[in-house]
Amino acid sequence: MKKIDKSTADAYFRARTTMIFIYLAIGFLVSYVVVFFAEPLSNITVNNIPLHYYMGSQGAVLTFIILLFVNAVVSDRIDKKFGIDDKKNESISRGNSVEH
Amino acid sequence: MDVQFLVSFTLIIATFALYIGIAIFNRAKATSDFYVAGRGVPPVFNGMAIGADWMSAASFIGMAGTVMVLGYDGLAYVMGWTGGYLLLTFLLAPQLRKYGRYTVPEFIGDRYQSNIARLLAAVATIIISFTYSIGQLSGSGVVIGRLLEVHTAVGTLIGVVLIAFYSAMGGMKGITWTQVAQYLVLIIAYLIPVIFMALQLTGNPLPWVSYGEIIGKLQVLDQDLGISEYVVPFTENTKWQFLALMFTLMAGTAGLPHVIVRFYTVSTMKAARWSGAWALLFIGLLYLSAPAYAAFSRFILMTQVAGSAIDSLPAWTTSWVDTGRLSVADQNGDGILQWSEIVISNDIVVMATPEIANLGIFVIGLMAAGAMAAALSTAGGLMIAISAALSHDIYYRSINPNASEKQRLLVGRWSIVLATVIAGLVALNPPGAITQIVAWAFALASGTFFPALLLGVWWRRSNGPGVIAGLIVGLSVTLGYIFLAKYGGFTILGIIDTGAGVFGAAAAIITNIVVSLNTAAPTQQVQDEVVDLRYPEQMSYRDGEVWLDDSQDS
Repeated sequence: MKKIDKSTADAYFRARTTMIFIYLAIGFLVSYVVVFFAEPLSNITVNNIPLHYYMGSQGAVLTFIILLFVNAVVSDRIDKKFGIDDKKNESISRGNSVEH
Repeated sequence: MDVQFLVSFTLIIATFALYIGIAIFNRAKATSDFYVAGRGVPPVFNGMAIGADWMSAASFIGMAGTVMVLGYDGLAYVMGWTGGYLLLTFLLAPQLRKYGRYTVPEFIGDRYQSNIARLLAAVATIIISFTYSIGQLSGSGVVIGRLLEVHTAVGTLIGVVLIAFYSAMGGMKGITWTQVAQYLVLIIAYLIPVIFMALQLTGNPLPWVSYGEIIGKLQVLDQDLGISEYVVPFTENTKWQFLALMFTLMAGTAGLPHVIVRFYTVSTMKAARWSGAWALLFIGLLYLSAPAYAAFSRFILMTQVAGSAIDSLPAWTTSWVDTGRLSVADQNGDGILQWSEIVISNDIVVMATPEIANLGIFVIGLMAAGAMAAALSTAGGLMIAISAALSHDIYYRSINPNASEKQRLLVGRWSIVLATVIAGLVALNPPGAITQIVAWAFALASGTFFPALLLGVWWRRSNGPGVIAGLIVGLSVTLGYIFLAKYGGFTILGIIDTGAGVFGAAAAIITNIVVSLNTAAPTQQVQDEVVDLRYPEQMSYRDGEVWLDDSQDS
């Protein structure tokens, strides 16, 4: 066990939270905002499909999937930058979980 | 006995034997196997299990039909049910995994230091999962019943016996690996007909690319007929209802206990993040195909069925007309069946289309096996959630804390059998429209669990009285709005009963915050535990200091 600077730990939390905020904002944009402006957007077409319908049936879902994978990769990078070892996480996690 | 029957029957029996075999092989031996599959499920497989757990008979059988019948307005379901995974994976799942408990009510009880909150959450889990499972069981009854040409009730009973057997036997561990197999069966069953139809109609085997062409043709057909166009938004309800429904489905997804518990089965926070990503990829395969399925079905019905002579309709029409879900009546008496004279129920579009498009007996049999896989996997996950709430949160944590491991497994197994049988009996005579009950379950989850978990993870000042008040107010507002909108004709901005979750969630969050701020803060230890959830396992937070565990494993 070694003590780490509170500011380092805060930096970790801030980095993760900022990214999550950005992902949720993008997710909000491609779903709620597109629905809100559905009528004006219907004049643009993607692959023969009006944009509002395309986003609802494919665009939003594809964006969600990409966001989740980007999150998984970027979070692993952040972990690495802060010296977190996943093997160690696993063994700690086994000890910490309440198995009763 | 015809060939179609034999093919479908063989496919279903083969998949059932596979599921039971997996459950026997992965028999639960310890309580941690039974509740959280020993916490060692690899993320990719957990993603598949989440996919099967999540995609119910409603997704498999109903989704494409809903999009076909509602047009753009049906897409609220596509976006809502996938967007929920953003909230779940970004805001809740990794943190709940680090907290490391067996069930969602257990998290709420321990985090908020309140037995009452845990019991309330356990009761809510049972109510939500129970209503949801009724839909699954009666769905499997319809499929088995139509296939074996027995009464739907007999079909339901066969489904009940099967689910009770393999979930009681395998617990979470057995269910996990059964769900992996069920995911593969259901996704193959879904994709094959869409790909075949794409080839037939457009010559391009990739439905996701080629259905744009069909959408274009549908617009022309609609204009010729002078009916409201397929892609025009908000023809069924208001824009606000669309947005409210989408929010309710997202927050409900993030608050469904049987889905959250799947994130307890992996080893770390990192594995929880990857599970969420894989899960949505696997779910997306079906959800991205559903709008294509819908467009192809509508096109085939409009071009190949509409316009044919009423007395020379193909054979499949009779068997579906017999179920009461399809009506083809020559209303204007001109001897030709027009598009406006075809009334098709949302629920049969997926099952009937392979017959309509003449895709062959193997594909039709596969669809039956896929629909069964979707219904059984979700029902299995729900039964585990109900059983865990009964045997762990209520029996072990409140009634008999000294119970031995053997006793607890026994109680767990019997509560599964009991819950399945009761749900099966209710499903014999389902109380009204099933899609509506499912939508209510989501509204309830977004009004109760979503706020309690969100504040529990992200706001350390939230306390026991806050969460209890929040749960009660969220539940009352959601139920109250459903009731008023459904029977009292009261709506805000045209938001109907299925969008009630947005009011429930808002009311529960505000109540939790106001009551928490006006009562004593949680103990320092609880607050420290909440701050600790900000960091990966290797970092721990105590008394304002952060420690990094750098000891070497021997």
